[in-house]
Amino acid sequence: MNSTENTSRDKIIFTAQLASISLIWIFVIAIAIWILNLISVSVDLNDAPGISIAISLVAIPVFFTLASILTYVFVGFHKNSKSDLNNTLGD
Amino acid sequence: MTEEKTKTIDIDEALYRPIYETGRGFYLTVGILLMIILFAAFMYVRQVYYGLGVTGMNQPVTWGFYIVNFVFFIGISHAGTLISAILRLSKAEWRRPITRMAEVITAIVLAIGGLHPIIDLGRPDRVLNIFTAGRLQSPLLWDVTSITAYFTASTVYLYLPMIPDIAKLRDRGGKLTRFYDFLSWGWQGTDHQKKVLNRAINILMVMVIPIAVSVHTVISYIFSMTLQPGWHSTIFGPYFVVGAIFSGIAALLIVMIAFRKVFHLENYLKLIHFQYLSTLLLIMSLLWFYFTFSEYLTGIFGAEPHEMDVILYKFTGPYAIFFWSMVVFNFIIPVIVLSFKKFKTIKGILFASITVVIGMWLERLNIVIPSLANPRMELGSGMYFPSLTEWSLFVGAIAVFVLGYVLFSKFFPIISIWEIEEGREESIKEVEKRVKSYLPGPAETSD
Amino acid sequence: MPKWAMVIDLDKCTGCGDCMAACKLENNVAIVSPEQTEEGRVMFWMDMMSVYDGEYPHVKVKRIPKPCFHCDNPPCIKVCPVHATYINPEGLVGQIYHRCIGCRYCMAACPYTAKVFNWYEPEWAEEFKTCLNPDVSLRMKGVVEKCSFCAHRLQVVKEDADAEDREIMDGEYMPACSESCPADAIYFGDLENRESKVFKLSRSPRAFKELEGLGTEPKVIYLSKRE
Ligand code: SF4
Ligand code: SF4
Repeated sequence: MNSTENTSRDKIIFTAQLASISLIWIFVIAIAIWILNLISVSVDLNDAPGISIAISLVAIPVFFTLASILTYVFVGFHKNSKSDLNNTLGD
Repeated sequence: MTEEKTKTIDIDEALYRPIYETGRGFYLTVGILLMIILFAAFMYVRQVYYGLGVTGMNQPVTWGFYIVNFVFFIGISHAGTLISAILRLSKAEWRRPITRMAEVITAIVLAIGGLHPIIDLGRPDRVLNIFTAGRLQSPLLWDVTSITAYFTASTVYLYLPMIPDIAKLRDRGGKLTRFYDFLSWGWQGTDHQKKVLNRAINILMVMVIPIAVSVHTVISYIFSMTLQPGWHSTIFGPYFVVGAIFSGIAALLIVMIAFRKVFHLENYLKLIHFQYLSTLLLIMSLLWFYFTFSEYLTGIFGAEPHEMDVILYKFTGPYAIFFWSMVVFNFIIPVIVLSFKKFKTIKGILFASITVVIGMWLERLNIVIPSLANPRMELGSGMYFPSLTEWSLFVGAIAVFVLGYVLFSKFFPIISIWEIEEGREESIKEVEKRVKSYLPGPAETSD
Repeated sequence: MPKWAMVIDLDKCTGCGDCMAACKLENNVAIVSPEQTEEGRVMFWMDMMSVYDGEYPHVKVKRIPKPCFHCDNPPCIKVCPVHATYINPEGLVGQIYHRCIGCRYCMAACPYTAKVFNWYEPEWAEEFKTCLNPDVSLRMKGVVEKCSFCAHRLQVVKEDADAEDREIMDGEYMPACSESCPADAIYFGDLENRESKVFKLSRSPRAFKELEGLGTEPKVIYLSKRE
């Protein structure tokens, strides 16, 4: 297989992967915004805002942790694969 | 590289085969399932068009099959992620061929279950109102939040341990290489990558357990937060969680037996796996009985009149047949089958699992309907007969589950190949070391 | 702030069902076909409970009109996921038909089974359509509705009182049921106003509330010597 074709394909796939990771972050941030919006509604209407805040304190960190784990894995994989490549090249 | 490739092909070929070989059976199954699903979709569109009148629900039984199935499916979904996390956490070596199957159940069934409240809505066109005008104080929104969290967590938890396998598929080439390349996230199997992956899985499995428990607790809150007799009970949280794990294990066993048969995985899923899991099923059956017993004993002993109406409706009234068959299916049959070595064959376990799944569905029915059918006011008790629409959507939901599973097994190995390899290569040594570390050391010569 | 409440004198009530009919007409409640009624989809904002006491032939029938109780601590609004049912400062529990998503959670949570659901698109006979009450909005299929204490009448009364720059008088704001009752068994008024008839009757030794032990604090009070 042609190596330039290969790298350009790699690039496309890498961008797609980056896009999927950012999608997850968009999803998580959207959820956070949604929950904050609901809290502001309940404060406006004076409708037991305490419960909403308590739930958001649990829910929002959970979503953020999930997204961070995914990002950690993705970054972790790539950080090393480059240095690995360098190693093998050096050998 | 190529050498290595041929080597791996040989050992676990049985696990790759379903992905590369598509038989007539596959198309036939998919076709039949699609037809069932299309019919269910048609019935749903009809329901949206005419209104919820096409169901069997009425006043006072305002919730029917949809909510029953919602609770039931979410319960089944506990099979997966929760059990796999517990097995991983307790370093049970026999988990290796099981975890993937369990996690797939969760991801698919959770999506199906999560849709049920939307099917149940009178105005599905307004569902977005919960984003603009939602009340986080309503238990229904607690559900939306916790199910979303669980769904995200369990898909991530399904996906991460799949990466090495996807990379294997990528390296084997074929039509879908690009797809696998995209999904494999550049996995090369380096030590650093392994470390990263293991760490992520470890964090996740600790996280996933409380999320899973919270999901079914919150579902029970939908009922127990109201003041209705038969629902307003503090035991509901743990009761639902136990029931969920119970039905989940049973569903997992059924799926395992089915795949073992269809994909000829006898070599991977041995009798011992089923026996271990069915012991777990037996324990859950006893626990379930304990909770059921406490729940009803407190009701009967207190004998609050409205509470008694509901209990009598279940014990001797129109729901007696459902109630008592639930007890037989959930307790008597599994305990008899699973306590005797003689019955603990694959067939016996399959039988017990099927009765448990049916029994747990009946349990959900017994929770939802009788409380609604016996209003506190003197209106007489209501009755509920599901209509064709509700039945077809129920069957349709099951078809979606089977289809999802079949398609998954078409694209990904249903048993975690790298974990099996890891088991072969490392865990024997590791287990030996671990067992040695439990044992008392060489007796220190005491003076 | 007034607190609107209803007192129903069961000793005066003859069980004629006039309140039910008046309510249906006043509030444009859909007429449900007999087959649907059989299936338990009848729609009454003002319902009638019949309680049979004793064995045949010595049966005593109690007829008890049952609207929404407009609880002061309503279990129904606590569970709504979209703010589609609410309690206003005057103690009226309302429904927002255009926001309700039809989850029916509030129906399941109401201990008094006071709410009804539009299982189909509401229907009226042709000749009926000309006499719908223009003050009350029509509902659509798939939403929950219930007795509103004829809140639209309060609107009119308030405007009148404002125009004449005075307080609302006792007995000026009357829901259709209490206005139509031939036995004058249904009283309506302001519980905060110590001069009102409703306040005085609520202190009567015959007064009781349904399911008082639940802490819902219903604002419909029954009067009865029986029991
Ligand atoms: S009677 Fe039922 S519908 Fe009416 S306010 Fe009370 S809980 Fe709500
Ligand atoms: S049916 Fe409508 S009013 Fe009742 S809880 Fe659901 S959204 Fe709220």
